Amino acid sequence: METTVTSKSFTVPIGPQHPALKEPGHFQFTVDGEVVTQAYVRLGYAHRGIEKAAESRNWVQDLYLLERVCGICSHIHAFAYCLAVEQLAHVEAPPRAEAIRVLVAELERIHSHFLWMGVSAHEAGFDTLFMYSWRDREKVMDILEGLTGNRVNYSANLLGGVKFDIDATQAKAIREGLDFLEERAGHYLQVLSKDAMFLQRTRGIGVMTRTEAEVLGAVGPTARASFVPRDMRLTAPYSAYRQFPVQMVLDDRGDLEARFEVRVHELFESIRLIREILNNLPSGELSVRLPRRIPAGEAMVRLEAPRGEVFYYIKSNGTDKPERLKVRTPTICNLNSVIRLAVGHQLADVPMILAGIDPCFSCNDRMVTLTDAHNEGERLMTWPQLRQHGIDFYKQVGK
Amino acid sequence: MNTISTLVSMLIFPGGLFLVLAGLFYQWFDRKLLAVLQNRIGPRWFQPLADTIKLLAKEEVIPNGVNPYLFIGLPLVALAGALTAALYVPVAGVAPSYGFSGDLVVVLYLLSLLTLCMGLAGANSLDRFSLVGATRTLTQLFSYEAPFLLALLGPALVAGSWQVGKITTYAVNHWLILTQPIGFIVALIGLMGKLEMPPFDAPEAHTEIVAGALTEYSGRGLAIFDLGRAVELIVGLTLVSSFYLGGVASLPWFIAKTLALLFVMIGLQSLLTRLRIDQTIGLWWRYGTLLVLVQWFFMAFA
Repeated sequence: METTVTSKSFTVPIGPQHPALKEPGHFQFTVDGEVVTQAYVRLGYAHRGIEKAAESRNWVQDLYLLERVCGICSHIHAFAYCLAVEQLAHVEAPPRAEAIRVLVAELERIHSHFLWMGVSAHEAGFDTLFMYSWRDREKVMDILEGLTGNRVNYSANLLGGVKFDIDATQAKAIREGLDFLEERAGHYLQVLSKDAMFLQRTRGIGVMTRTEAEVLGAVGPTARASFVPRDMRLTAPYSAYRQFPVQMVLDDRGDLEARFEVRVHELFESIRLIREILNNLPSGELSVRLPRRIPAGEAMVRLEAPRGEVFYYIKSNGTDKPERLKVRTPTICNLNSVIRLAVGHQLADVPMILAGIDPCFSCNDRMVTLTDAHNEGERLMTWPQLRQHGIDFYKQVGK
Repeated sequence: MNTISTLVSMLIFPGGLFLVLAGLFYQWFDRKLLAVLQNRIGPRWFQPLADTIKLLAKEEVIPNGVNPYLFIGLPLVALAGALTAALYVPVAGVAPSYGFSGDLVVVLYLLSLLTLCMGLAGANSLDRFSLVGATRTLTQLFSYEAPFLLALLGPALVAGSWQVGKITTYAVNHWLILTQPIGFIVALIGLMGKLEMPPFDAPEAHTEIVAGALTEYSGRGLAIFDLGRAVELIVGLTLVSSFYLGGVASLPWFIAKTLALLFVMIGLQSLLTRLRIDQTIGLWWRYGTLLVLVQWFFMAFA
């Protein structure tokens, strides 16, 4: 094959299939030697049409569908959906149900942060931490399984409440598990903040100032590591967080080290909160009845998922199905920061910067409407047109 | 008779077949122990051998845009280099099959041949991961080579010879790790760099550049490169343990000392985070080389 140099720049493609990515996404990093000079992201490889699918299912079926938006933070999506639907129906879940929902949400946060810690350590080439943190994560998954019967899609929610109660035996198992997890999290905090070799890869890398974080619209631990006080559990308390407030974990350094430490400190905070809920679990019913047809109206909720703010908008037209449902997950808010921060860093730091926001691609892939800048209008395509466009596109690429 | 014994020593024991099998066994030991330290189960004892056989049986895909002769030839040269180097080294406690004054330098060059071939293999490809990997491989070669060489010349100086066989004979009665501890540390870490073990695996950091220089290799070429690495592992371990750990005069001592050395290397692998390529260079030129020179300074006065 004849080879021609078409441009002087050297671009390293990451994805859609790449060992650093656990899900398909596409990044292009133009490098000068080892230093990144330009970054580009393209999403949409894992678009599943969940929002559209939700419109064709009834209110109860959607609960199970939306729990599958994300494989890691599954509970938070069902939680958000339930809150929004309850808001539309003008009912509130009983206090005990709210407390249990929050308890599961915090267990999920522990699960997600342990998982993230392992993945990020793996991106840095520190596989021992990866293996250890994933081993310890099994503990919280065991707790969740003992509580709900499932390890991943817990299916804890009902419209109007939760499905299960927590008895004394389960509470004891949770407390024991939390003791273990707290001890391990303390150990990892030591490793992450003291290990000189690991600090070489995290300290001062990917620094995002508070202003940058605010401008780029970062959310969740990524924003809090840059001292942006943005935590939906506090800024817009919902459900049982009103009775059981959390403390916001902030760090002003804004580098990868801060992102690690913020998340580990959040682990402690979650553990503390779960213990508090277990000690003061309100008594009463687990659920209330909800009408089959939800009154017409609009609802909007913002919840703090392990990765940051998750946003739900639901429009009801009074039938047994939602008319429109919109989900915005935290990754889409944080991806901008990756593109911005990668420039000027070494190629070797890029996977860590990317992992630093805890990305989840299939959660954030949404349909977009193409707007033609020249014709000033939306371009909608019919199915045959789209098919033809695909054929033409790949012919072009194949040349 | 003489020809037969030469052929046996080259092809069966201690060279050739024995080397390859021992190398695969040591690779298994490395993988298994690392797995145990990381709380995993790890591969079964025959896994590296099974991988090799499987790869050898597979079709080799030659990608577009490469020079096919180089693509096929480079792994062979790499393996040949590593196998030839073994002839001058007391593998398995048997005295080196060949030797001449100054063969230490030849051995080190032959060992570098593998890295050089990997770098060329990466540069031969059009694949962008391979190109970055090749740059990193060669950059790393230039950073650890000098300190590693200097660290191995320490024992040569006290033995008064640059012949591996003679240095080994001298080292049997002298545990040079005690008199030249800094040299030993640099040699050990240099060996890890040479073998691209973590934390020096930036050239093949799979979360960044997939498999580095060898990304485009599959099938036979990959298997032969892997065999080359296995042999290099043995030769490198033999060199360092025979120079610094009181020689490897017999087979039990050989196994004990090389495995002990490998054990230390596995411990380091599990403890350390991967270095960026600029950090690797900094480590070797700022600390590694200086440390060896300090060692030499003390040797000059002692």
